[in-house]
Amino acid sequence: MFEKVLLKNADKPESHRIKTYLKGGGYEALKKVLKGYQPDQVIQIVKDSNLRGRGGAGFPTGLKWGFVPKDPTVPKYLCCNADEGEPGTFKDRQIIEKDPHQLIEGMAIAAYAIGANKAFIYIRGEFAFGARRLEEAIAEAYEKGFLGRDILGSGFDLDITVHRGAGAYICGEETALIESLEGDRGQPRFKPPFPAVKGLYNSPTVVNNVETLSCVPHIILKGADWFRGIGPEKSPGPKLFCLSGHVKRPGVYELPMGISLRDLVEEYGGGTRSGRKVKAVIPGGVSAPMLPESRIDVDMDFDSLAQAGTMLGSGGVIVMDESTCIVKVAKRIIEFFHHESCGKCTPCREGLDWIDKIMKRLEGGNGRKGDVELLEDLCNNIFGKTFCPLGDGAVMALRGAINHFRDEFEYHIEKRTCMVA
Amino acid sequence: MATVTIDGKTITVEDGTLILDAARSLGIEIPTFCYQAKLSRLASCRLCLVEIEGQKKLQPSCATPVLDGMVIHTQSPAVVTARRAMLEFLLANHPLDCPVCDKGGECELQDKVFAFGPREGRFTEWKRTFHSKDYVLSPVIIKNANRCVQCQRCVRICEEIVGASALGSIGRGVKTEETSFMRAWLNCDHCGNCIEVCPVGSLMSLPYRYKARPWDLKEVDTVCPYCGTGCTLTVGLRDGQLLRVRSRRQTGVNEETLCVKGRFGLDFVVHEDRIKRPMIRKNDVLVPVSWREVSNYLKERLLPLKGKGDSVGGLLSAQMTNEEIYTFQKLFREVFGSNNIDSSSRWPVASEGDFYPALLDLISTGIYRGNLREFLSADTLLVAGSNLTDENPVTEYAVRYTLSVLPLHLFILSSRPSRLDKAAKGVKRYIPGREVRILASVLKEVMKAHEEDLKRTFGDVGEVIQGEVIEDDFVRALSSRLLGSRRISILVGTDLLRSPLAVDAFRVISNLIKVLRAAGKECGLQFLFDRSNQMGAIDMGAFPRDGGMGFGSLLEASRDGRISFLYVLGEDPVLNYPDGRLVREALSQVGLLLVQDAFMTETARMAHVVLPGATFAEKDGTFTSNEGRVQRVRAFYNPPFEARRDLEIISHIASLLGVDLETDPSSIFAEIKDLISPYRGVDYEGLGDNGLFTGHEKGVDKGLHPVAIRDVALEGWGFITGNHLYHSGYLSQRSRLLGSLIDAPFLEIGKEGADSLGVREGDSVKVRRNGQSIELKVRVKEGLPEGLLFIPENFGSLSINNLMEKGVYPFPVEVRKNG
Repeated sequence: MFEKVLLKNADKPESHRIKTYLKGGGYEALKKVLKGYQPDQVIQIVKDSNLRGRGGAGFPTGLKWGFVPKDPTVPKYLCCNADEGEPGTFKDRQIIEKDPHQLIEGMAIAAYAIGANKAFIYIRGEFAFGARRLEEAIAEAYEKGFLGRDILGSGFDLDITVHRGAGAYICGEETALIESLEGDRGQPRFKPPFPAVKGLYNSPTVVNNVETLSCVPHIILKGADWFRGIGPEKSPGPKLFCLSGHVKRPGVYELPMGISLRDLVEEYGGGTRSGRKVKAVIPGGVSAPMLPESRIDVDMDFDSLAQAGTMLGSGGVIVMDESTCIVKVAKRIIEFFHHESCGKCTPCREGLDWIDKIMKRLEGGNGRKGDVELLEDLCNNIFGKTFCPLGDGAVMALRGAINHFRDEFEYHIEKRTCMVA
Repeated sequence: MATVTIDGKTITVEDGTLILDAARSLGIEIPTFCYQAKLSRLASCRLCLVEIEGQKKLQPSCATPVLDGMVIHTQSPAVVTARRAMLEFLLANHPLDCPVCDKGGECELQDKVFAFGPREGRFTEWKRTFHSKDYVLSPVIIKNANRCVQCQRCVRICEEIVGASALGSIGRGVKTEETSFMRAWLNCDHCGNCIEVCPVGSLMSLPYRYKARPWDLKEVDTVCPYCGTGCTLTVGLRDGQLLRVRSRRQTGVNEETLCVKGRFGLDFVVHEDRIKRPMIRKNDVLVPVSWREVSNYLKERLLPLKGKGDSVGGLLSAQMTNEEIYTFQKLFREVFGSNNIDSSSRWPVASEGDFYPALLDLISTGIYRGNLREFLSADTLLVAGSNLTDENPVTEYAVRYTLSVLPLHLFILSSRPSRLDKAAKGVKRYIPGREVRILASVLKEVMKAHEEDLKRTFGDVGEVIQGEVIEDDFVRALSSRLLGSRRISILVGTDLLRSPLAVDAFRVISNLIKVLRAAGKECGLQFLFDRSNQMGAIDMGAFPRDGGMGFGSLLEASRDGRISFLYVLGEDPVLNYPDGRLVREALSQVGLLLVQDAFMTETARMAHVVLPGATFAEKDGTFTSNEGRVQRVRAFYNPPFEARRDLEIISHIASLLGVDLETDPSSIFAEIKDLISPYRGVDYEGLGDNGLFTGHEKGVDKGLHPVAIRDVALEGWGFITGNHLYHSGYLSQRSRLLGSLIDAPFLEIGKEGADSLGVREGDSVKVRRNGQSIELKVRVKEGLPEGLLFIPENFGSLSINNLMEKGVYPFPVEVRKNG
């Protein structure tokens, strides 16, 4: 049985209180860092741990921190991306609501490493409860001297501000998050320059996911080798998987990276609620192409899933049993991306609108011969040409559905009705 | 430097050059929508995607800089497919209502689809529609959101260049609409630059809508007749009727911009006020007569005055062409033997004898005759005496643009708040007359820091500044910036020309320039004249010289019955001379008052003889802008009724006196070129799209002028005057469109002042002086200094100059809430 790391406090009573956190060894990592490490050493430890971003892209965290210029005269910012909006994903919420101090400690260490004295938590607007929890936890941390001026007598200052988003999925994209934080329209910015060089208020900025930052105190305390030893060496560590859909036991599961998807679904999730066969599984939030049941013997880590033609993404695993109409699923996913497209670039704005209209017509029984080919062509015209990954995500999801379940699409067109109904 | 290969051709360019620009310099055209050279990069339309070897994804060439060794393809199958795909996407929701769209024929979407796009449409779904009818955003802007391609050029130009931030995006995704807040009427400048940059028919000119197809228009390039910025513009005519005005990309000082006056205010040329026939006063009534009759009459009256210099005088508008002004002064100097000439009646100069010598010294010392944009590429810019936003809007655009791309430090010394204030490193408000002390204090600081340099250049300079200087944040910040700058530019506005201490102000600025130069810095100035050819008028010598009288002195002489003949060309001093009582009294005493104008002005109503002249629309010639740029004015109308071109009329008058004067603008210009040194290098035939710059005359450096600091006392309320964005004199007043934006003068008052009077925005107040009073509506403007009021000048409806007095500024008044 895997010993929980990130969720170790989650089931304790009053897990969100600082006293609970301190009892479990909380803020020891921060003390250790402020007493004994230079910022560069912290970055090196994180690099050595091979920690990769848990927001979806899996970018090496230590490397990202290392891009921040060292010039002490330039203000730097840390932003925690808590805009958890990928459908099928609800892991960050667990940390925020159940163990917020873990995140705050991780942020304090990260801020120290990159030389930031101001940090923001950009939290999804709907997470009103989580935002309140964070505010309370931050107040506790200030009171105990883990935040504010001269933290633990080290001379290091840090202020954290919680900012609630206003409901746009795109604000989970790091540059859009920065724009939104600055008070502008939440739309992605052109890169380069990358945020590490010019981000918030044109200053060097690191944007990290909640789960990523929460891993940091554990790496500091237990060492990079310990972390690297969990799961595959190239994408190691404990990972929160969000299991939802037609499973018996949905929920957030903390397991080592690299666990098999089939085990996750059948062993931890207990198979399907209905007892019907699993039809398909989306392994990493709706942007990740779905896998048919025949292909779910795959390890849940960044590289293995990429090899299988999909991605780990945010770790949102959605299980669908045989009663599921894949066309309807694809329509719903496209509907989501169409609704959330920010409108900045042509292919995402216009392309998804077009696809959305075709999917609605097709699913509603008004498909035409050639629609599938048209959809594929439109996907090609969007993919790789959009301003940010939102459009790509939509296309990947649709392509996944068409690739594995083309016959269902054709059936819909020909019979004007659903194969499973 | 970076060497790159694009489509097999190799080029070496500066580091940081965009792939798009590198390709264009190789003659390779990459289509774009959202890219616009002077706006922030967006990279959102994805039309300009190119393939870079070694990179998985196509990259936007409008935002990607070259790297040494890059191999780029702009015609590869992947690029061609992507381009076609983007155009197909843009067409998907586009209404394709080209047959009824104003833009049809000059639409960038049409052109690009024709060149690169899909030949057949595959979109068979319902199109997104925002609305079924175009909606009006302002008296000049009408919107069709359905046609929008979301390039955001309108939003960016409004925010980044114009500074109005009136447009923005509402909604998200495919429902994004570039419009005003709540689609309400825009609180904007009505400049129409958003229309100009719109690639499709989404933002349209309301006055032009449905009036013509682009191919029906005959276009003529000319110069804006309003302020001295000197914007080039292209007028479009259909069946001989002016329908629209546009600016041209990369052309002139304005590049692709215009202000509301230039773009929408040219309809004055067809105003019903046009004078149709010559008129002679008979039994105290102006009676239309034939040209023959008026000629005989004038010949009889003028012949005895030939050579009688002292008793004749002339005033002409600084909106006349160089050729007209030159010929006018030649008529006076050579035929009448008179130096009594002036080209502005709006400056309430106290010491007229010193005004022009000091102004000319300032010009010969400091003027930078050259491209405004290069002039602005300095370390520090001082705007002295101007609300640039209202006075010279397009110059303001250039300043705002420069601030966004260069580390330029802007300092503003102005009585009136302006939109540029928030971009400035230092802002100082003052009561006119007190600018001398502020500038002198800066001068003193700079002199203190460069004593050695000054001694070396000027010898022992003695006490240049006499009187007490001030030390405040502005003076300190500006002085230290000047000391730390290598290149300094100064823009001198018309508020300084109106100042009662204008002469002192000119001298201080002239000293400052000389001192900064002695300290090894580059320093120069340009004026912010508010008349299109004020610079030319000064160059042509339309000012009193060698003991001649300026217009103020001419009026005093007239009042005393010493002027037998006064020739007023294109000016309306009865309305705009800053002493209503004096001008009326004086003009009634002139022996023969001849007014030549396109419009029936207040002055014309007092005249003995009225001659129907022409507007800028009916003449050929040149204007010299504030930059010293000579540009061609081209006729696009014929003079209506019996009106004639002013040049012909001036020569005609000369011919009545037996003197032949040239009437062909190019021949006159050749003479100007020979006689007036800055024009030596300017060739009339060589004036292309961008005109030509006059050259620098070698100023004789006379050392530093001592200045004794004096102040202007102001107790209670005093008002100043100047231009408004929509109104700058008798031309704008005759524009129907500008008149719909502003039809009456108003009283601008600071927040505290309004509170102390107990008035609010829109309230009516009575402004009184010397028994005269007028009623005005209040506009509350944050940032006006205490005691100071602003009333825009010379509206016909209310003669505010009845409250003005020669030699006084600001004009002290009593203000009371009405009712």
